[in-house]
Amino acid sequence: MKSAPFEHHEPDTVDEAVSLLESLDDPTILAGGQSLVPMLRFRLANPDVVVDINGIDSLDYLREEDGSLRLGALARHADVEDSDLIDGEYGSFADAAPLVADPQIRNRGTVVGSVAQADPKGDWGSILLAHEGEVIATGPDGDRAIPADEFFLLPYDTTLGEQELITEIRVPAPGPNEGSAYHKLKRKTGDYAMAGVGARLVFDDGVIESAGIGMTAVDITNARATDAEEHLEGERPSPDLFAKAGELAAEQSNPESDEHGGADYKERMVDVLAQRALSDAAERAGTVTVERRVTQ
Amino acid sequence: MTDEREITLTVNGTEHTIEVEPRRLLVHAIREDLDMTGTHIGCDTGNCGACTVLKDGEPIKSCLMFAAQADGAEILTVEGMEDLPEADDIHPLQEGFREEHGLQCGYCTPGMLMAGKALLDEHPDPDEETIRDAISGNLCRCTGYQNIVRSIEYAADELENRAAADGGAVATDGTADAEPAASPEGGHATPEFGGDADTFCGREDCCGGPDGADPFDRDALLDDAGDGDGTGDADGRDDADAGADATDRGDTK
Ligand SMILES: Cc1cc2nc3c(=O)[nH]c(=O)nc-3n(C[C@H](O)[C@H](O)[C@H](O)COP(=O)(O)OP(=O)(O)OC[C@H]3O[C@@H](n4cnc5c(N)ncnc54)[C@H](O)[C@@H]3O)c2cc1C
Ligand code: FES
Ligand code: FES
Repeated sequence: MKSAPFEHHEPDTVDEAVSLLESLDDPTILAGGQSLVPMLRFRLANPDVVVDINGIDSLDYLREEDGSLRLGALARHADVEDSDLIDGEYGSFADAAPLVADPQIRNRGTVVGSVAQADPKGDWGSILLAHEGEVIATGPDGDRAIPADEFFLLPYDTTLGEQELITEIRVPAPGPNEGSAYHKLKRKTGDYAMAGVGARLVFDDGVIESAGIGMTAVDITNARATDAEEHLEGERPSPDLFAKAGELAAEQSNPESDEHGGADYKERMVDVLAQRALSDAAERAGTVTVERRVTQ
Repeated sequence: MTDEREITLTVNGTEHTIEVEPRRLLVHAIREDLDMTGTHIGCDTGNCGACTVLKDGEPIKSCLMFAAQADGAEILTVEGMEDLPEADDIHPLQEGFREEHGLQCGYCTPGMLMAGKALLDEHPDPDEETIRDAISGNLCRCTGYQNIVRSIEYAADELENRAAADGGAVATDGTADAEPAASPEGGHATPEFGGDADTFCGREDCCGGPDGADPFDRDALLDDAGDGDGTGDADGRDDADAGADATDRGDTK
């Protein structure tokens, strides 16, 4: 099926894009198009105007600056996959990038577009939550930073204003005692997650000072496992501790049964994936190696 | 609102200027405006990879991009494979798919070839895992993938052999190296290609199927007006394909 007709605008600057969003009726932002193009085709989205941001070169970056990792709105999944900076320091991002869709889609799709899409099955939202990151939006009233926690509302719905453009997402740069990881269960290569868990651990003298856990595809949005996070903080890592955290994450998850698996099974997978992500994160923080509890 | 816009696409080295509506997909521009039907449409949703082309050297799914977004870009499609510097009549990848039986119906083949081309450009000597990863966005419902992996391995070896034979350089004019350094170990003599369907190996179930058309022989296929669906011919049902496309992808749907 063809998209309904639309006007195609290609601004060169963020200011231009924002004034288009402000002045035109019913605009939609087009980034990598890997979610939006099918939605237009199926007429799930019928905007009169498409504001294509691919020509805004200033949004094409992935860098560390002022203590944060910043991904501009045109950083593609493949840019994350190929980045040495990511490889060295951001375990969760490095784990997730090659697991998002397939090579062709990773060449076009953007991390920011994926966060904006707010598909509960999207991988990046969980990582943003685990890292307690922020979404930076620019609109007619200027810039604002939206904490990841306050961004996702419902499937495909966020707190972003209609006239706002996300310019970047950022997460705090890791200190020397921090590690992160992402584990995803999928039916076959290239698929969306049946369940996924991102974890980030910050240690202080062998004790977990702060923990972040984000879950994919097991609730109506990407969701944080706050009970598990609280349980971890102030403790020393051990197989039992991580097993309990996995259990708490599973309890807090809210998956639905579908053709790929029942809700019980998916909860169980949250438990397993959380333990794996936590033990990788702990190991990457350089503090300890935690044997994974044998799972039956 | 439905204003058409003039765009320029350089496809397989030839510049084309066409008028497109903003909603026109790149795959439709390639197939319908430029009449290059070697790029297939399988799923229309980004899942199957049959529509894979290289845009400025990168593999993308041309059903997930508007043509207007490719304005000014260099596109490589399956029809351009045989004219690449590393091709010798046909591209080593195409040769690999023929020698290793990397196709059955052939529907996925153009996309597989483009994914394979992108892979070998970046990793001339890929291991199996790297190959499988590179084609993970391309579905094949016939082969079970084993032979596709072998076909790409064949091409990697062939390219390496040629580079070694040329003292480290791949032939750039497409005419050098008339005798491949490693002759294929197929069960039949290497067919010669020269734009004439009669020059095939001759076996009924090989090299293009019962109608004897070579799935890789662009000239013969392009000359065959009203059909032209290059690689799709491997299934010997090209006209049916073309008919289905014409109705399925028309404005009415
Ligand atoms: C076959 C297939 C498999 C996939 N598998 C996965 C997977 O395993 N995991 C995964 O996470 N994703 C997967 N995806 C989705 C893919 O990651 C998309 O790239 C992503 O969801 C959207 O990013 P995009 O840049 O393509 O955005 P677009 O499709 O261009 O836009 C998506 C939405 O975000 C909005 N938007 C985009 N950029 C901005 C911005 N800067 N500011 C405000 N709003 C914006 C758009 O208006 C639109 O509503 C898959 C997609 C396909 C087709
Ligand atoms: S037709 Fe484009 S991916 Fe299937
Ligand atoms: S789909 Fe791959 S050969 Fe038929």
